[in-house]
Amino acid sequence: MNKKVRTMLLVGDNPFHGISHLSQEQARSRADGDVSAADKADLILTAVENGATGFMFSVSDLTLTILKTLREREKIDKLELHAIVPYVFEYVRIATQTGTPGLAKNVVKQMALSGDVQAIFGGLNGAFRMKPESLLKTYVSYEINKIKAAAGKKANLSSVLLHEVLTDMGLALNFDWLFKSFTSFLSKKGITPGFNTRNLPLFVRKFNEWNINLDQTLIATPFNKAGFQMNPSRTEFENTLSNISSPIVLAISVLAAGYFKPPEAVAYLANLSNLKGVVAGVSKESHARETFKLFDERLNKNI
Amino acid sequence: MKKQKLRVAVIGLGKMGLLHSSLLNVFSNVELVALCDKSKLLNRLYKKIFSPTGVLVVNDIDKLAGLDLDVAYVTTPISSHSSIVKTLYEKEIARHLFVEKALATNYEQAKEMCELAKNSDSITMVGYMKRFSVVFGKAKELLQQGNLGKIKSFKAYAYSSDFLGLTKESMSSASRGGALRDIGCHIIDLSLWILGDFDVQNVLSSTRNETGSELSVSFTVTNSAGLSGQINVSQQMPNYRMPEFGLFIKCSDGTIDVNDDRLLLTSSDGTQQKWYRHDLNDNVYFSIGDAEYFRENQHFVNSLLENKHCEPNFETSSKVDYIIEQVKTRSEQ
Repeated sequence: MNKKVRTMLLVGDNPFHGISHLSQEQARSRADGDVSAADKADLILTAVENGATGFMFSVSDLTLTILKTLREREKIDKLELHAIVPYVFEYVRIATQTGTPGLAKNVVKQMALSGDVQAIFGGLNGAFRMKPESLLKTYVSYEINKIKAAAGKKANLSSVLLHEVLTDMGLALNFDWLFKSFTSFLSKKGITPGFNTRNLPLFVRKFNEWNINLDQTLIATPFNKAGFQMNPSRTEFENTLSNISSPIVLAISVLAAGYFKPPEAVAYLANLSNLKGVVAGVSKESHARETFKLFDERLNKNI
Repeated sequence: MKKQKLRVAVIGLGKMGLLHSSLLNVFSNVELVALCDKSKLLNRLYKKIFSPTGVLVVNDIDKLAGLDLDVAYVTTPISSHSSIVKTLYEKEIARHLFVEKALATNYEQAKEMCELAKNSDSITMVGYMKRFSVVFGKAKELLQQGNLGKIKSFKAYAYSSDFLGLTKESMSSASRGGALRDIGCHIIDLSLWILGDFDVQNVLSSTRNETGSELSVSFTVTNSAGLSGQINVSQQMPNYRMPEFGLFIKCSDGTIDVNDDRLLLTSSDGTQQKWYRHDLNDNVYFSIGDAEYFRENQHFVNSLLENKHCEPNFETSSKVDYIIEQVKTRSEQ
């Protein structure tokens, strides 16, 4: 008999960055200029007290400060960390201001200033030989080192996920080397390789075609009753999920950015088998308490 | 066009070039044949990355000649559009063209490009992808239904925080054409598409950077049917994490308030209806960024395969360049 595994419940960081896929207008109206990284760390800890088991975040100055705060409070070992790289928003912003060559210079400068010797030499070697795999590994190492520097030795960096823009471009352009290289590099480091995508059916088809073992990966992808960001359709997402051999999928956009209340969202999620976990963003202490308590009660009630 | 599979090249491999290349590569009736970027560094890297996929990477447009291309996408900075388009037509490198917005750096260039396209019997498209957004599409549909009566006035905006707080204005701002050509062109195109033709009346305010490119501008428009409107454009607005576009349209029997995320319809009796993207079937076969990019490419590909007129084409889009020119001229006066 299959033993039911506890559904992972992760705090997402979108509200911390002022992102709302429902309405940027709403995100602006609740812009929390006075809310510090310490307050955001409090929100995460409230969620943990109510059933959350981890934190999924884009690697930015803000989230690194939150991790540092959690470490200083000696709470960092209470949660699993799932990092998304790169923080595409910041890179697009730099490219807009300085152009693509300016962006490349900026990344090199950041890596050089980090003092990360391995990253600097690995990057120079990769750039000199124009080896995309070396550049990718160097960049991912640089991001991991930033996380470790902020979160400390006790932190459990469970997975590193490739941002959806890179994942989906890689899928479209048939860059199997990107996925193979990312997966093998992180697996060797004892970190689960993950991918963020809005195109789950194509993702699974391509991985099977390329003979990449899905069981060793983690996929973060939207699941919500509205089918929001589920391309090509909610039905195809649900069919794909049920055909994956083991639970490797983390459901994101579960509240569809506030379009659904937590009870509606969890009613839909509870009917999906094969989910490994659920990620939900929260912006207030009461949200953190109510959402994760409810999710834990509904999704882990028979465990 | 009789072909079952279109042979495509993409010129300019910044973020828009890579986005279009990716989307085109998932269409079963498109073959991504070649990519072109003049940057030596990017060229070397892309050659390594794309060589296993069979896509040719070159650093000069002339090297695209002889590849039997049906279509070329031009996704380079605006200042280079005109010369690249001329080369593509004159050397018969590709007959049909997609050019990222805005079409040209001035109206004169835009007219010249329209003429070249006409002479080459070319199907063209300009990357005003906001027309393929489900919310803006819904706004146009509601107005066309006619239940809101006559369109009286509107207020539109295109805002971003892209250049907020920058003490030294970068050259990039200039190469992207300033706020009007970078983001303002989208809201001008949407306004023309949804509301119909208009001309610039007055420039209310304008700020510029060191290179003379505007960072923000506000102007009024009017037309002979009695429509009046105001368009505000700024790349220095606080808290606009992503560029955002919106229109408030006042009609004789109600109003429409629409932006990238949602549409609010208010009837004259005060009743309201609201639609988010979530309510409007925003799914596509494959998505990167927003779903409108896929729909835009799908529309162009289908137009080419069916040998049909495509919108927005060079001719339609040149009207945006005309409006921008009017704003710049009035602003200087």
